[in-house]
Amino acid sequence: MSFLTPLYLLGALGLAIPIILHLLHDRPKNKQEFGSLMFLDKTKPPVDRKRRPTHLLLLLLRCLALLLLAFVFARPFVTVDDPADAALRDRQWITVLLDRSASMQRADLWAQAKAGVQTTLGQLGPGDRFTLIAYDDSTELLAEVQSWLGSSSGAEVNAQLERLAKPGFGGSNLGQALVLAGESIEGDEPGADELETDEQPLARREIIVISDLQKGSRLGDMQGYEWPTGIKVRLEQIGEDDQGNAGIEQVASRSPWAAAEAVPSFRISNSVSGIGDELEFLAHTTAGETLSQKVHVPPGRSRVVELPGEWADKSVERLAIRGDAAEFDNQFHFAQNRQQTVRIVYIGEDKPNDAEGSLFYLASAFQQSSTLDFQVEAVSGKSSGPLPEADLFVIGDAVDDSLAQALGQAIEGGATVLMVVQSSGQAANLGQWLGADGVVIRDIASSDYALLQSLKLDHPVLAVFRDARFSDFTNLHFWKHRELQNLPDEGIDVLARFDSGPPAWLAARRGRLLVMTSGWKPGDSQLALSTKFIPLLYSILQPVLEGKTQSRQFVVGSEVDVTRFNNDQAGGGVTVMPPGDGAAAISVDTIFTPPAPGLYTAKGAGWSETFAVNLKAAESRTEPIVMDQFKKLGLPMTDLVASPGEIAAAAAAAEKTEAHRREYWQWALAAVLLFVTLETVLAARGSRPAEPVMIT
Amino acid sequence: MEISSLSLRARAVVEGFMSGLHRSPRTGFSTEFTEYRQYSPGDDVRFLDWKVMARTDREFIKKFEDETNLRCTFMVDFSKSMEFGGDDAGVKKSDYGRTFAASLSWFLTQQRDAVGLATFDRDVREFIPPRYRQDQLKTILGRLETQPAGNATDLCQALEKLASLVGKRGMIVLVSDFLSPLDEMERCLSLFTAAGHDVRAVQVLHPREVDFDFEDAAIFEDMESGRNLILDPGMAREAYQQKYNAHNAALDAMFSAQGIPGFRVTTTEPLERVLQRFLEERPARAVVRQRRSNARNAA
Repeated sequence: MSFLTPLYLLGALGLAIPIILHLLHDRPKNKQEFGSLMFLDKTKPPVDRKRRPTHLLLLLLRCLALLLLAFVFARPFVTVDDPADAALRDRQWITVLLDRSASMQRADLWAQAKAGVQTTLGQLGPGDRFTLIAYDDSTELLAEVQSWLGSSSGAEVNAQLERLAKPGFGGSNLGQALVLAGESIEGDEPGADELETDEQPLARREIIVISDLQKGSRLGDMQGYEWPTGIKVRLEQIGEDDQGNAGIEQVASRSPWAAAEAVPSFRISNSVSGIGDELEFLAHTTAGETLSQKVHVPPGRSRVVELPGEWADKSVERLAIRGDAAEFDNQFHFAQNRQQTVRIVYIGEDKPNDAEGSLFYLASAFQQSSTLDFQVEAVSGKSSGPLPEADLFVIGDAVDDSLAQALGQAIEGGATVLMVVQSSGQAANLGQWLGADGVVIRDIASSDYALLQSLKLDHPVLAVFRDARFSDFTNLHFWKHRELQNLPDEGIDVLARFDSGPPAWLAARRGRLLVMTSGWKPGDSQLALSTKFIPLLYSILQPVLEGKTQSRQFVVGSEVDVTRFNNDQAGGGVTVMPPGDGAAAISVDTIFTPPAPGLYTAKGAGWSETFAVNLKAAESRTEPIVMDQFKKLGLPMTDLVASPGEIAAAAAAAEKTEAHRREYWQWALAAVLLFVTLETVLAARGSRPAEPVMIT
Repeated sequence: MEISSLSLRARAVVEGFMSGLHRSPRTGFSTEFTEYRQYSPGDDVRFLDWKVMARTDREFIKKFEDETNLRCTFMVDFSKSMEFGGDDAGVKKSDYGRTFAASLSWFLTQQRDAVGLATFDRDVREFIPPRYRQDQLKTILGRLETQPAGNATDLCQALEKLASLVGKRGMIVLVSDFLSPLDEMERCLSLFTAAGHDVRAVQVLHPREVDFDFEDAAIFEDMESGRNLILDPGMAREAYQQKYNAHNAALDAMFSAQGIPGFRVTTTEPLERVLQRFLEERPARAVVRQRRSNARNAA
């Protein structure tokens, strides 16, 4: 039985009134004068035993009448399930979004989630539409039932559900899943004329989210999404008794090639409701050794821990934390970066130790680090040998034809070339590489120094100076510079000009060929000695460095470009060995999406590279999302105001449900009247004195 | 109490009582006594005891008890609580007390003693000094016949006032129910005993006050303060009697400490018998004298 206006049941509190009145009624009426009450104490109210039965009956009647009155106002009803009406029932479309992110691995959350799905299935009636979508980083349609047929449809859905024995290792992109579900409902709206005659319109569309609604869920996609009217979202949160969780993630170094000795460091965070503040930080080496260290992280805080020096030497393959409530995110697979070689070839006639030349400064600019090993090689422009392989070619003098040819091909093939124009003899090379005839290099004779202006700071090469703190080039004086004439109109990007007008730095061939009309050697300018020099060189090298220093740390679900492990050379197919013994190798073309955490090995022709895959750090943030956030994002937690047509339909549906409702208030009202009548009769009889009272 | 007129009632009582009086050998309290006091200037030299002076060479005043008749002052409680009774269980306490006073007045007047009357409730309402006169009895009976309309009893306050009003030493008969707190009463009574009055207390009680034999629960109302109390007498009886007995025991102890003979009577007791008991009681003078000698010794 349910009540239409259950608040009226509070009226039952009025029962206290007759009871109190009856208690008052028990006071004796006769008065006795007495000389002095000094010897008398108050005793318990005396009980009049003779009249009690009548009183009890009256009390009972009055209480019943009041109770029924409250009952009548609360409008009790019983919804009747008439089998004949069932077919005419309003159809509903229930979409269940089932969270299968890694955080669902905690305790029995997954079992609870599945039970939640079963509960929802139990609420479906014939003809209802049902969609089951599992989501983590991506969404997967598990089951779709257009018209619910009872147990047979249930079995179909259950079979799909059983396939998901365990939640995955992905993150949770709840926002994407919700928007997707909303869009699919909106897009699948049948027009009124499309409906078959015997088919009822869908009166209710509901999205039920069964999830732990952890704080690490991404909701960004919901920002700005306008929810269609008529959809209601219900959030069924499981695992509200969050016992706290600690997580571990690697702290990305800001610029891996700039740091001389980059020690891997890890952020260990403890959630606000964490059970303790003393965690154990463990490292498992490839040799099977386990190292441990205590880390003090108070709940609600995080701490960055550097990998201790003695551990780093021992080829750690897995890190772990111990001491929190949830285990699922306590392992961190770790693949240490290998030192990569960056080859720079200087083509020119400079001596390596000549402080007046360019090579000396170029070689000094690059510093060794734990991840990068720079090798600077000098090649004479007149050499007839083959062009060595390099990540960056720096050309300081005129180059012979054969070498120029090879360089032209290298530029075509994607090599980066920095050309410093220092003599008019380089005009032929430049013309060749730019694909333009008649390029002339003219020395500008000036007694005054030149400054840079019109710097194109949004170009990738100069982007490093974009910050106002670094964009001041007025301290950089150029003593000597050249002017390039007859340059082609197209394909040339002037990065900077001298204050006299001619271009100082140019980028051509899609940024791969950089030309400087004044070099860095002391005779040309102050560039080599300025603070701009090293950032500029690293900035030129950046595309190369990015490839070289690619992290071997990935998260589940991310796209791993396996070719990058071999300098973008696929070289005839790559196989990836998943972690665990006896796992079958997976053949990959370029992109591999790891499904589970662990250490993977990518193998190609003659090379192999290990990379680590871990859970998303956000999954460790298991405390529940504040519900206000959903409201702020405009999630229709309650029915949105619908169009007039929909309101009418809703009213009709409400009327129909009212017809199914059996109300009993009329009967209760009749009973109230009966009780009141009986009470009146009894009270009248009771107030008549049964025997004459002696008058004293 | 069938006789409505107080004077008739008094006479009937006394006459009935007189008939039996002859059987008793111990009557009279109109006795005399003497005492010596050192002469101090201003004393009447007529009373100097010349013989003692001759013998001891010191001046002593020979003091006489009034040679006249007994001076008796009735102090009758006219408070509201005395109005209790008057139902089938017995006469009102006030009626009983007034009749007692009237009867004794009649009797004493017949003995040519001086009789006075003081009525009080919270305060002294009326005071007729003791006299022996023709119309004194009439006045007293007339005053006694007015209906008591007082409120609360404050025995102590009334006694304090009366102590200043009653001049010469004599007998004081205190008629009251003594149902009020006893805290101050001893001090007030001592005002009389210390002044040498022969104080006698008659405590008039209604049988229901003694037994508390009410049956039905009722709202009990204090006749003086008007305070209400809902009571089941059956439940309250035991406690009542305990407190009542304790009160009376305290009262008795106080009386005996002050050398006051106390008479506890209920309104169902025949008045003649009460009068007889009263008159048979030895005067408390011995105690008084004893205390005086004690006081002298202490000095």
